[in-house]
Amino acid sequence: MDELLAEFIAETRETLEPLAGEIVAWEAAPDDRERLDSIFRFVHTVKGSCGFLDLPRLEALAHGAESVLAAVRAGERTPDAALVSAVLAIIDRIGRMVEALAAGEDFPDDDDGALVRALEARAAPALAMPDAAAQPPAATLSASRAPARSIRLPVELLDRMMSGVSDIVLARNELARRLREREQDPQLDAAFERLSVCVAAMRDAITRTRMQRIDSLFAALPRLVRDLSVELGRQVTLDIEGGDVELDREMIEMLRDPLTHIVRNALDHGIEPPTERLKAGKAPTGRLRIGARQGGNRILIEIADDGRGIDAERLVDKAIAAGIVTRTQADLMSRTRKLALIFEAGLSTADKITAISGRGVGMDVVRANIERIGGTVDIESQPGHGLRLALSVPLTLTIIPALTIITGGLRFAVPRSAIDEIVTTRRGQVALETAAGATFATIRGRRMPLAELGTLLDLPEPSPGEDRTLIVLRLAGGDRCALAVDQVLDHEELVVKPAAPAVMATGLYAGTTLPDNGQPMLLIDPAGIAAVAGLLDGEAAQQDEDQDETPIEAVAMLLFRGRNGAEYAIRLSLVERIIDVIGEDVRFIGGRLYLIYEDGLVPIIASATIAIEPEARLRVLLISDGATTLGIAVSDVIDVVDVSEPAMPAATPGRIAGVLLIAGRPIELLDAHWLLAEGAQASMPDEDARPLCLLGDATDPWTREVLRPLVEAAGYRTAFNGAVDPARADIVIASEQAPAPADLLAPVIRLRSAPAGAGPADESIYRYDRAALIDALGRVVRKG
Amino acid sequence: MERLHLLARIAGQRVAFDATAVESVVELEALAPVPRAPAHVAGLAALRSRVLTVIDTHAALGVGRIERGALMPAIIATVEGHLYGLLVDAIDDVAAIGAQPAPVRGRLAAGWREIAVGALEHDGALLLLIDPAALVAGPAARAA
Repeated sequence: MDELLAEFIAETRETLEPLAGEIVAWEAAPDDRERLDSIFRFVHTVKGSCGFLDLPRLEALAHGAESVLAAVRAGERTPDAALVSAVLAIIDRIGRMVEALAAGEDFPDDDDGALVRALEARAAPALAMPDAAAQPPAATLSASRAPARSIRLPVELLDRMMSGVSDIVLARNELARRLREREQDPQLDAAFERLSVCVAAMRDAITRTRMQRIDSLFAALPRLVRDLSVELGRQVTLDIEGGDVELDREMIEMLRDPLTHIVRNALDHGIEPPTERLKAGKAPTGRLRIGARQGGNRILIEIADDGRGIDAERLVDKAIAAGIVTRTQADLMSRTRKLALIFEAGLSTADKITAISGRGVGMDVVRANIERIGGTVDIESQPGHGLRLALSVPLTLTIIPALTIITGGLRFAVPRSAIDEIVTTRRGQVALETAAGATFATIRGRRMPLAELGTLLDLPEPSPGEDRTLIVLRLAGGDRCALAVDQVLDHEELVVKPAAPAVMATGLYAGTTLPDNGQPMLLIDPAGIAAVAGLLDGEAAQQDEDQDETPIEAVAMLLFRGRNGAEYAIRLSLVERIIDVIGEDVRFIGGRLYLIYEDGLVPIIASATIAIEPEARLRVLLISDGATTLGIAVSDVIDVVDVSEPAMPAATPGRIAGVLLIAGRPIELLDAHWLLAEGAQASMPDEDARPLCLLGDATDPWTREVLRPLVEAAGYRTAFNGAVDPARADIVIASEQAPAPADLLAPVIRLRSAPAGAGPADESIYRYDRAALIDALGRVVRKG
Repeated sequence: MERLHLLARIAGQRVAFDATAVESVVELEALAPVPRAPAHVAGLAALRSRVLTVIDTHAALGVGRIERGALMPAIIATVEGHLYGLLVDAIDDVAAIGAQPAPVRGRLAAGWREIAVGALEHDGALLLLIDPAALVAGPAARAA
């Protein structure tokens, strides 16, 4: 709202300035039609905006002036001096109220009514016009004017800036390449780094100048829906969400037609007439929901109605009738693919052609338009219950995130938006099969057509048996197909320019780009490639879609024995390495165990308390999610097994995800998520899970400062005698000065200050015999 | 009125380009190929942070392929907003030519007919005035 208000203020100010001249001229020549028109336009605009912005006082003023001026235009009144003055007074008042609005001040509640009434006073002799007389307009305007915070710019200027900044990015890329060819010069590199940061910031800022709220796209929809529902005899409620999402101005223009078309379709073919809806047991009023949201650097626009949806089978019949597919092809299609037939040219679901839609130009154009701007369209239909279309478009047109790949010795870029996943044939994640010359890949239970990108591009064939990387492309309608390439190189943000017509005519490329290495690169058009490869027609996703959700997958598990002697399993893929460390490198810091490893601290967990002795050897599994690394202290590693049975889930969430049955033995499976979350927080396991050690006298500095840290490092909580109920203690450390409380169940370690014991029966430990002390502490814990 | 012309050779023939249509003259090194593009598209090259589409003028004329060397002389021209590099055998000179281009009389070989838009007389030799746009369009445009 604030934004709209600011816009209104800027616009009003802007028109008022030249209008001041018009007003003066009109006063001199009240018959001047042109001047009258421009003043009329002004008050008319103000009236419209005020109604919208809920500014009733301004609206009333503008309305009064508008009516009078309309009468003048219609020749019903003559613009005498009184009328002119009255109009001028109103315009002045509007100007000052707008300034007050801009400054955030309240405008004194003057009698606006008097000004409006003055308009009606026909040919009355000069009424008192305090506003106009006392303050000449110019003075009024400059008096309390807050500095303008916004300016208006021609869009072409912004476009020029955008293309300029794109060129700067390209020039920067070339400079980067030249710098790499030279000897390293830290100072030069630093300066270049700074330049890069500035360029990136600049690019961001300029990209934002071209951003517009999607509101401007949605604003026309209520009217469109209203008009169409009247015309078609529908009752529709329109819900619009996410109007504050911003995207590139150019994208908004590109989306306008497709969106209008989709809305028309929804009302014409989707939402049924009220009687039909009632018969179908639905509310007579249909709902059309349109929402926008930003996800990463893409904008998602959803259009959902609760109408009759699309009957995939009927669509197939029509497609067969129209000769778009054959019956055999259709029988092999997945449901998604059948629904995607709606995007074929020359196919409409409408039985009868209406003026609104169903003329055969339709969804194919929608899809073409969306894909041209690097977007995708997904369709989801529940026959009888509604249709949902999801458009996903990039934020801007010129800079797109892409994956660079290499195949047949050439580098290409593939828009990231079209890529579903990347898998390699090396690790046996993919099953390949050929049928009648066509190749199919099955990735996690989903079969999809596969094409060798190099072959499609007439590049040299890879040698047989070579590892391939498969790029799974997500095509319109949700179909997937795989492209085999030699190697995936990198993820880059690329400035893409259209390629020359002769290159575009191949239908394989979406544009050209110049990456850092200075070698021009072609951007692959996924839809075009799929079409050329025939991957769309040879569709073989016969797999039942329900099965896709629960593919059977063998998971490699690492079995190990924990410090407590029990067997555990963890997914092998999470284990980064297995290392042997010495006790010296394991520290108890800030309430938990850490391993000093490669100059950093890695939190360590163990199934039992580890007594840290400098000489002790400890085997540690390092698990990592890329960001967080965590060590698991183990006794030893048993085996690696493939497990295809799912784990029985654990009753409560925790470090154990569930139980696996491996070779007849139940083995607990560690919950990697839980563990890493713990590692990420580097939080202490469970405070209360640690045994409690009761120490002697809190006032004794040696006990407090020397003994306590040692005991805590051994994995105990500590408490001083008297602070807790002695019965809760798991172990008690007593000394000559502070004997243990009587009647304790917990074992007691007695410390003595003399190195030598009193005799063979003396079980006390010399207080600096660290090894004996830790051993005693450890023994107690192990017993527990 | 004298107009500046760029004199070059394509497939052994001396040709002239109107200098106003020529942006610059460069020697191109490696080209990035464009798989499955028409034969007259030799590839892509980078020129001062811009991508240019390189045209094999021999292929555009339908007289085979131009010889690829380490450094290939090319004429840079903008056609319909796209930047092109036209590979030629050699670039000879820039000359101010006073004579107006005359219509080409005589029957030119097939490929030349659409590309040569006029004939110029310079130092007693016949120069064919070349339309870069026709070169860029390639043989496909003529077939259509």
